[in-house]
Parts: sequence; C-alpha cells; structure tokens
Amino acid sequence: MILALEAVSKSFAGLQALAGVSFEMGPSEITAVIGPNGAGKTTLFNVVTGVFPPTGGAIRFLGKDIAGLPPERIVGLGVSRTFQHVRLFRTLTVLENVMLARHQHSRSETVACGLRLPRARREEADIRAAALEHLDLLGLSDQRDRIAPELPLGQQRYVELARALATEPRLILLDEPTAGLNEREADEFGEVLFRIRERGIALLLIEHHMRFVMKVSDRIVVLNFGRKIAEGIPAEIQTSPQVIEAYLGTDERD
Amino acid sequence: MNHASRVAWAGVTVGVLVLPLAAGSGFYLNVLNFIALYSMVAIGLSLLVGYCGQLSISHSAFFAIGAYASAILSTRAGLPAAAAVIVSQCITPVLAWGIGVVVLRLGGHYLAIATLSFTIIVEILIKEMTPLTGGLQGLSSIPPITLGGVALDSDFRFHFLVWPVTMLLFLFALNLVDSRLGRALRAIREGEVVARLFGVDARRYKVKVFVLSSVFASIAGSLYAHFVSFVSPAVASLMFAIDIIMVLALGGFTLLWGALLGAAALTVLNEYLTPFADYKRAIYGLALIVIMLFFPNGLLPGLRGAVGAILRAVPGTRR
Repeated sequence: MILALEAVSKSFAGLQALAGVSFEMGPSEITAVIGPNGAGKTTLFNVVTGVFPPTGGAIRFLGKDIAGLPPERIVGLGVSRTFQHVRLFRTLTVLENVMLARHQHSRSETVACGLRLPRARREEADIRAAALEHLDLLGLSDQRDRIAPELPLGQQRYVELARALATEPRLILLDEPTAGLNEREADEFGEVLFRIRERGIALLLIEHHMRFVMKVSDRIVVLNFGRKIAEGIPAEIQTSPQVIEAYLGTDERD
Repeated sequence: MNHASRVAWAGVTVGVLVLPLAAGSGFYLNVLNFIALYSMVAIGLSLLVGYCGQLSISHSAFFAIGAYASAILSTRAGLPAAAAVIVSQCITPVLAWGIGVVVLRLGGHYLAIATLSFTIIVEILIKEMTPLTGGLQGLSSIPPITLGGVALDSDFRFHFLVWPVTMLLFLFALNLVDSRLGRALRAIREGEVVARLFGVDARRYKVKVFVLSSVFASIAGSLYAHFVSFVSPAVASLMFAIDIIMVLALGGFTLLWGALLGAAALTVLNEYLTPFADYKRAIYGLALIVIMLFFPNGLLPGLRGAVGAILRAVPGTRR
C-alpha cells in the first residue's frame, strides 16, 4: 500500500469535516475522491499533506504514520499536490516555481548561496536542469520565463503539475485538476495523468467532472458529510444507490 | 543575479572607489559615507521585509546594538577598534536569534508591533543602563578603526572601508536573492503554507533572514560608532527605524538596487532639510503616507510603473 487512511477524523470548532474515513491506495493507482460540495474532500487533502493535523486516526504513507507531521516533512517523504484554485507563486517565473520545488533536493545554505561558492553554483545548475526537465516533460519549456498569472488556466494547471513532479513524489494529490478546462483539454490532461502513473507515481484526485473520473480512475471513494459512503471501481460507483441518493437534490456544481 | 546586475555592481563599486581619488576630499565624502551606512541597514531590511515579507521595525535597535557593543568593547574593555567590530558581530546574531525565534511566530501587524516594542525596550535600556552605556550622555572618544597602522579617522580614509564593506554586503544580498534561498524567501512572502508544502521550512528561514538582516544593521552600527567616535541613545530611536523604512519606501521594498538609491535619496534629503529642523520628520511622515497610498511597492518601482503606463497610453509609442 502506498497510502492507507485509518479512521481519519477532522473537526473544526464543532463542525465534523471528516468522520472516520478509511481507504487504501496501491502504488501506481489513480484513485478519485468524489462527493457533493462540503463533503470534506479538500479537508482530506489538507490533513494528508500536513496543512493541519487530523483530530483522530492514522495516515500511513509507505507504512509510516504521517498524521500531524508538518507539510515540509510530508513533501520530503514523497507526497505532493496541486490546488483547486491554482496557487502558483505569482512573483516567481514558471521556471522558478518549479525550481522552488527542488528545495529539499538541494542543501546550500545562506553563506554558500551569498558567496556563490562553487558547490552552490553547481547545485543551482542542477536545480535548473531538473526543473527544465520537468517543464519539458509537460511541454512548458518555452513558457519558462513568464510569470504564472500571464498563462492561460490550462497551462497554469500543467505548471502546478510540473512543480508537484519536481519534488520527486511517490504520490500526487490533485484537487479538481479539470476545473475550468474544456472537454478536449480535460482529455489531454487525463492522458498526461496516465503517463505520470507509468512512472510509478500514484495519483489521488478530487474531481467533479464525472466523465473524466470514470475514464481515468482505477478506484473511486465517495464522501458525503465527512463520511465515506461508497468505494469501488467506476462501474460499481455508477450504479450504487447510495451514491445516486447523495447526489440527488444536491447542487454538484462549483 | 543576471549579467546586467553584475556589470552594474562592478561599475558602481569601481566608480565609488575611484571618485575620491579623482575628486579629492570634501564634504560630499561625508554624505557618501552616510549613504553607505544607511544602505547596509536598508539592504538587510529589504531581505527581511521586501523579499521575505516580514515587516520588522527593529533595525534601529540592531544598529544601536552594533554601535554600543563596539563602543563599549573599545572604550571600556580596551579592545582594538577592528576587534571590537568583529566581536560585536558575534553578539548581534545571538541576540537576534533569541528575539527572532519568539517574535517571528507572529505575522503581519502583530510582528510589526512586537519588533516595535523591542526597539523601544532597547532604547530605554540604553538610556537607563548608565554605568555601561553612559545613559543620556552616550559614549564618546571611541577610537577609529586602524588598518595596517592607518587610523580611519577622516571621511576620505573611512570611505575606503565603508564602501567596500557595503558593496560586498550588497553583492552577498544580490547573490542570495537569486539562489534557492531567495526563492524560498519570496515563496514565504507569497504564502507560508504553500511554501512549506513545497519543502521550505518557513519558520527556520524567517529566523535566519531576521538574524542576517540584523547583522547587516549591526555592522553599519559598529562602523558608525568608530567613524563618528560618539554614540548616543539617538541611534536607537524609533525615528531612525522609521527612516530606514522610508529608505525602502523610496527605493522599493523588493529592489536591492532601490535600497541603495533610497539610502542616497534620504541622506541627501537629510542634508537639505536640516534648516527645517523638527519639521523634517513631519515632512517624512507625510511623504511616507502619500507613497504608501499611491505606490505601496515603493516610490521608485511605482514611478517606473506609472511612466510605463503613460508611455503605453500615448498612441504611437507602442511597437
């Protein structure tokens, strides 16, 4: 198992955002988390990546309990993510955004960087080469010197993906990667996800776009009001009465 | 750092070092020396406030700590001036680290108020610890720095210490902001949580840059003490802290070159506004409000942006 959630709970001042959620993910698996708005999907991402600690339960990543670790530790272990509303650094260029993600793969400290010691320069060259490689992989090399807000949303989502890949993760969490993309762009994004999976990286995604979910996911976990109400392969989920009920009468648009 | 910046740095360094040899002594050298001292503090503050986004109003305190540490070590402990400067730079980082670890848990306005309080405490301590600091009288007869048997006791001689030190610290800062650390600082400014999610230990880096920028201020303070041979509680005043923020407001918060230009502008203004005496502060205060209202990133970047916008608006100037 690459990721195993065991009865993970999170409450905010009396509001139970997650109530005993458990599921497992195998390596190189694409798992989708679906559910109506307010089901706790983004909260789930935030506790897994360390934005805040869960109130209860265990989160095992490659066998190690990471629940409550700070985000900089969790990314170092091999979990990265993207955001529902693109959160690229707006004052950094596209290349610098991806270079930043190499932070834990480099070590030069203040004095070495300030004096431009040979080892700091070598390391900077390595950071740049690795970042360019990831931009290249996603076809973004010619956008490297632009700042993120100048790019169309579709490209910004690829930059976020390149930044996540640059941390050399074993698992990437994608929060609504197709939001704002048209059908063709969503399909292209799906192809890229398959290519990433081929490199041995597992993907956990939150998605409202059902056609996309059914096409790319190996497994689907359905949340409603912080609880897991169903789990299975896409064909099972599509016909699950509980899932259909959860969605009926609820507004599933953003 | 890009090529243009490197060439500009080399050009300014050579220019400022050749200038007194070509133009000879004069009062302008005194002004230039103060520009250098202001620049050091402003460059340090730019790293902390501009690049890392942590508004601190404690830089006059660290300037004063450097000045007083150097003054006390050389007049009371009998250390040679150069040694006093170096020992002082070992004291400041320890103090800055202790303060930084505590106050940098705060952000935004809270951090500004906490650092402001620290500045007030330092000022009071300097005024009250008379046996050590000379109280309101200050400390006088601070020996000049002596290098290779030459006492740096004139504007001309001091120039050849203060400017190389300033330009080296400036180069250090230019290198730093263009490294993995610089990217980390800029990422922290934009969003601490996202920076942490990509591996930046934000709390550690904030303390680091706080210590580093405090040392920049402290070096300036030490050099100042040996240059003017006299320190008084005025160096620890809140007004001086505001002056340094004014330097960044003029030159731009995230432009290291702006720190240099802002320091030059403010030092020259200080000279020309001397006849206005106490009203000078009121003028600065008003200017600061106006700049913050219209150019929150600083006057220089703001004007650059405004000129660019006007040029684009004029038909026919665009390709």
